[in-house]
Amino acid sequence: MELTAITDNLTNVFQKTFDDTELTLSDDLTAGDVDNWDSLTHMVLIGEIEKEFNIKFKLKELNKMNTVGDLIGMIKSKVS
Amino acid sequence: MVFTSLNFLIFFPAVILLFYLTPSRFRWLTLLISSYFFYLNIEPVFGILTAAITISTYIFTRLIDRAEKDSKKSVLMYINVIIILLPLFFFKYFSALNDGVFTILEAYNIRWALPKITFLLPVGISYYTFMAIGYTVDVYNEEMKAEKNIGIVALFISFFPLILSGPIERATNMIPQFKSELKLNPSNFKTGLQLILWGYFMKLVVADRLAIYIDVVYGNLEYHNGNSILLASILYPIQIYGDLGGYSLIAIGVSKVLGLNVMPNFERPFFATSMAVFWRRWHISLIKWLTDYVYTPLAFTYRKYGIWGIVLALMITFVLSGIWHAATLSFLVWGFLQGIFLSIEALLNKRRSRFVKKYKLMTSTIYIFLSIFFTYILFAVSEVFIRAETIEDAILVFKKIAFERGVIFLDLTTLAYGFIGSIILFMSEFREEYFPKKLLFFKNGNVLVRFASYLFVSLLILWIGILNGGQFIYFKF
Repeated sequence: MELTAITDNLTNVFQKTFDDTELTLSDDLTAGDVDNWDSLTHMVLIGEIEKEFNIKFKLKELNKMNTVGDLIGMIKSKVS
Repeated sequence: MVFTSLNFLIFFPAVILLFYLTPSRFRWLTLLISSYFFYLNIEPVFGILTAAITISTYIFTRLIDRAEKDSKKSVLMYINVIIILLPLFFFKYFSALNDGVFTILEAYNIRWALPKITFLLPVGISYYTFMAIGYTVDVYNEEMKAEKNIGIVALFISFFPLILSGPIERATNMIPQFKSELKLNPSNFKTGLQLILWGYFMKLVVADRLAIYIDVVYGNLEYHNGNSILLASILYPIQIYGDLGGYSLIAIGVSKVLGLNVMPNFERPFFATSMAVFWRRWHISLIKWLTDYVYTPLAFTYRKYGIWGIVLALMITFVLSGIWHAATLSFLVWGFLQGIFLSIEALLNKRRSRFVKKYKLMTSTIYIFLSIFFTYILFAVSEVFIRAETIEDAILVFKKIAFERGVIFLDLTTLAYGFIGSIILFMSEFREEYFPKKLLFFKNGNVLVRFASYLFVSLLILWIGILNGGQFIYFKF
């Protein structure tokens, strides 16, 4: 899957999870920048991403993702 | 040896002096010896426990590092976690289990009476057990390499400022610091002493003073009316905050003087506008620990159930948190309540955000005030179960608050002094929360203002502090 396609799909998932249609993603975006992105919504988000891209994360991988850029990188390595 | 004891006021300067006299590459050893001296002074036999936990953790973390297959690493990790949890279970839950079995046996009249054995709970055990577990899991998760010097691991588990009540620190933060070149420096000294002074203020002026009123009321619930019980219940969260918050500041300050940075344990919790925010500001080190090692793995396992999976993980985590404090029905109820509050909030989160956006409440003073007020009340309600100790007493408290009016019991000196302390604490936190750069006292650039503030707080401690007061509440956990 192309990087732009991943970013587009991911943006949809984010907008739906955080209920914010104006939310845009950038590589250096972190949980601190988004309203309501806490440890509760985080796991809902992860579940939704797995459904959208039909992939599975490992718990260890989650600990290593600190920014949206890391997340996109991880998704890319799993879909292609 | 307690932070508020005279012994500590001799011990700590002695440690600083020894630390200063030791060549910097052996300073960790000075800290280790001081830590064991500190802990053995409480009860010599407890030292065996910290040493055993250290040895087990040292061996298993090294083995985890060396193992190649993930399955083997995971087995080793679980074995160590179980080994170090055994003493905690034994000391903390043995009597609860024992009493439970006896009650059942007695109910069927088959109890064979033997002398009852009770064990003294090794103070601090819940804290250093959690720190050792965290370290083991971090090595398993490859967040850090296993430490090769057993002395450093021993220091991490026994470090005297933290051993009795936390903050529950992480090996990833502490071990590299213990291994670095440890130095005394004036700026750390200053910041550390400021934290210690404020910590003593919170404990001696606020917590121990309020405790007098609360203990009188809660100690005789039958004789007090609903109004007095309501006042005591409203004040109790402030007492607990002064107690554990004050303790934490002293622990962080003592570490800071020695050049070590320890994570904060509280961040103005009573300005939280929701329970979720509250739990990010209250007993932070415990909640972070639970989030990383209990909640996240659980929520990850249940993630396919969406928000309901989160709710389940939350409930289990907070019930465990309750039981971590003590194996009583009251703490179980307390844990359930926190789980329920947070779950309801999580389920209503989207609606609340939309509501706030629609009516532009983000900056509304009334909305913020009401949110803070309700969060405080919810927490105070849950704390009734802890202060009342038994469920029957907690129910009595709520019944009396709801139905029994009367003349409020006023112990004027205690309340007046308690309010002076609480209001100064509140104003200081209010300033820090909303105007962090303004009206500085301890951090003022002017040396006169700084010293006047130190003098003022010191005098307050001597004037209205309870200097012969009791233990820190969280030692018993």
